[in-house]
Amino acid sequence: MITVSAFFLAGWLYCQELTGDEIIHKVNDTINMETSHTKSMMTIVTTSGSERTFTMETWSKGKGEKNLVRYLEPSRVKGQAVLMLNNADDIWMFFPRTQRVRKLATHAKKQKMQGSDFSYEDMGSGDAFIEDYDAQRLEDEMREGHDCFKLELTRKEGSDMSYSRLILWVIKDNFVPVIIDYYDDGDPSRLEKQLVQSDIRIIDGIPVAMKAVMFNKNDNTQTAMEFLEVKFNVELADSLFTERALKK
Amino acid sequence: MIKGVLCAILVILCLSPLLAQEKIDLFGYYEAQYMGAKVKSNTYQLFTNKLRLDLKGQIADNITLAANINVLTYHGKTNWDVLEFLSDDIVSSIPEELRSLYVIPFENDIVLDNAYVRFRFKPFDLTVGKQQVSLGTGYVWNPTDVFNIKDPLDPTYEQPGHNALRGDVPLGSFHTATVLYSPEDNWRYSTKLLQFKGRMAHFDYYLIGVVRDWVFTDFTRFDAESMSFEATRERRQMLGASTAGELLGLGVWAEYAYNWMELSDDFYELVAGADYTFDFQTFVMVEYYRNTLGKSDYREYDLNDWMRYYAAEQKAISRDQLYAFAQHPVTDLLNLGLINITSFSDGSFAFVPTLFYSLSDNVEIYGYLNINFGKEGKAYSKSQGNGALIRVRVYF
Repeated sequence: MITVSAFFLAGWLYCQELTGDEIIHKVNDTINMETSHTKSMMTIVTTSGSERTFTMETWSKGKGEKNLVRYLEPSRVKGQAVLMLNNADDIWMFFPRTQRVRKLATHAKKQKMQGSDFSYEDMGSGDAFIEDYDAQRLEDEMREGHDCFKLELTRKEGSDMSYSRLILWVIKDNFVPVIIDYYDDGDPSRLEKQLVQSDIRIIDGIPVAMKAVMFNKNDNTQTAMEFLEVKFNVELADSLFTERALKK
Repeated sequence: MIKGVLCAILVILCLSPLLAQEKIDLFGYYEAQYMGAKVKSNTYQLFTNKLRLDLKGQIADNITLAANINVLTYHGKTNWDVLEFLSDDIVSSIPEELRSLYVIPFENDIVLDNAYVRFRFKPFDLTVGKQQVSLGTGYVWNPTDVFNIKDPLDPTYEQPGHNALRGDVPLGSFHTATVLYSPEDNWRYSTKLLQFKGRMAHFDYYLIGVVRDWVFTDFTRFDAESMSFEATRERRQMLGASTAGELLGLGVWAEYAYNWMELSDDFYELVAGADYTFDFQTFVMVEYYRNTLGKSDYREYDLNDWMRYYAAEQKAISRDQLYAFAQHPVTDLLNLGLINITSFSDGSFAFVPTLFYSLSDNVEIYGYLNINFGKEGKAYSKSQGNGALIRVRVYF
C-alpha cells in the first residue's frame, strides 16, 4: 500500500515539476513517431450541412519532417498526391491527369486541404510546436473527462506559422493533446479553430487519438479526421519521399 | 465513330480478366459543356459532351499500364468562322473566293488520348507510348514546352498525349535527368529532348534542350492541289531553363527559352510569376509573358499572326502580356475568382470572372464569363465578342 502510494506521489510530483517546454517536447514525441503509415478518412461538414468525404494514405518519416499524402477517394481526386519535406517548408503537388508536379510555396500551407477545415500546415508541420512556438504552462484543468496540462504556445519571432498562439489541453496520462485552440494570425484574442481529439487507443505501444474534429469558428464548419489503419515504426525508404515516388 | 466505340468496348472486354482480379482500375469522367459567344450582332452556342474513360493498373511489381479514351460529340454551332472575330481591314485583304476556308470545325471524335506502359527499374523509369508531356514551371504559358499550348482561360485543363519514349534517371533524391524521343516520319523530324532537374535551397530548377521540327502555316497561300494552306517545315532548336521556389514569402517561378529557327527568325520566350495566399484564404497570382514571335504594335498583326494564334502554332499574338488571377473560397464549396489578361503591347485587356462549385463528392461545376475591352484589331478587342462557358463534370 505504501509502495503504491509512493508511486502515485512520485507521479504527481513528476507532473507538478514538468515545465511547459518539457511537456510540449513530450507531446511532440507522442504525436510524431519516427515513421508511420496510415489510412484515414476525412469528412467535411459544410455550412449547408452536406458532407464531403475523402480517404487518403499517408506515409511519414523523421517525426513528421517528411510526409507523403496520396488521395484514394473520391474519384475526383484519386491519385492526387502531396509531398511535404522539411516540416512542410517544401511542398510539391502531383496531378495525375496532367502528370504535372507543381512546387508550392510555403504560403500554400495556409490553404484549406481539399476545402476542409484542416490546412496543409495543420497536417504536416512536424515539430512546429517546438521550433515555431514558445511554450508556457498554465493551471491544469479537466477537459473532456481527462486530467490535463494546459499550455499556451506563443509564436516565435520570425516564424511564418499561421497562428499567433495555441492553447493545448494535454492528457497527463499519455501526453495526447485532447483539445487545441488555434488563434488568429493578426489577433491573438480571436479563436479561429478548435481541434478536439477522441477515441484514444494504444497502437504498437503508442497512444493514438483515432478521431480528430476541427471546428472552424469563423465559417461555422467542421471536418472530422478518422484513422482507419495505423502502423508505427515501419520501414520507409527515403526514396518514398521523392518526386519519383510522388508520381507513382 | 461507331467503329471507335466498338474498339473501346473490345479493349475493355480483353482487359476484363484483369479488371475482375482488380489489377486494373477503371475510372474517368463525363463532362457536359456549354459555350456561348456574342460576336457583333450574332449569338452562337456550342454544346459538348465528353466521356473520358481511364484505365490504370499494376501489371507486375514494376510495370504500370495506363490509357484513356476520349469520346467527344459537338452540337450547335460546330463550324466557327475565324474571320468573324477579325478586324475589317484584315478580312478585306482576303480574296472573296478564299474566305470560306477560315473555319475551325468541331467534329465528333473518339480518340486514344494516352496509352503507355511504364517500367520502373531501380536506376531509371522508362515510359513508352502516348503520354502526357508537361514541361516548365509557368502557370499559363510555358516557353520550354514545345508540345503543348495552354488555353489562358483554362490553363489547368489536361493536354493531349504525345507519342514518346521517355527515360527518367534519378540522380540522388533531388536530381533527375530526363531523355525523351518523340518519333516522327524519320530521325531528323523526330523530337529529341534532354532535361536536367535539380534543387538548390527551396528552389527547383530545370535545364532543357530540345530539337523539334516546327510547322508554320502560311494562311495567305492556299494550295488547290492539296486543298490546304501552304506550310513550311523547319528545324527548331531550343535551349531553356525554368525554376520555381519561394522568395520573401511569395511563391515565385520563371521560365526562359531561346529558339534557333532553321528558316524563320529566331525568337525567345520569357515567363516570370508570383503567387500568394493571404490568411483570409484569398489566393492571388500574376504571370508576365514575353514572346518575341508576337508583335509589339497591333497595327502589324496580320492574317498569319491571327491564324497561327488560333491554330496554336504560336502562343500569343502580342509580345508582352500579363495574367493576373485572384480567387477566394466564398463558402467551403464555392470559389469565386477573377482573371485579368492584359496585352502590354497593344493596351487591350479582358476580364474573366470565374466560378467553381463542388456539387457533391464527384460532381463539380466550373464556369466563366469572358469580357473583352480592347479596340478593334487588338489582342483582346471588343469586336471579338464576349463569351461564357459552363462545364459540369461528373467523375466515376
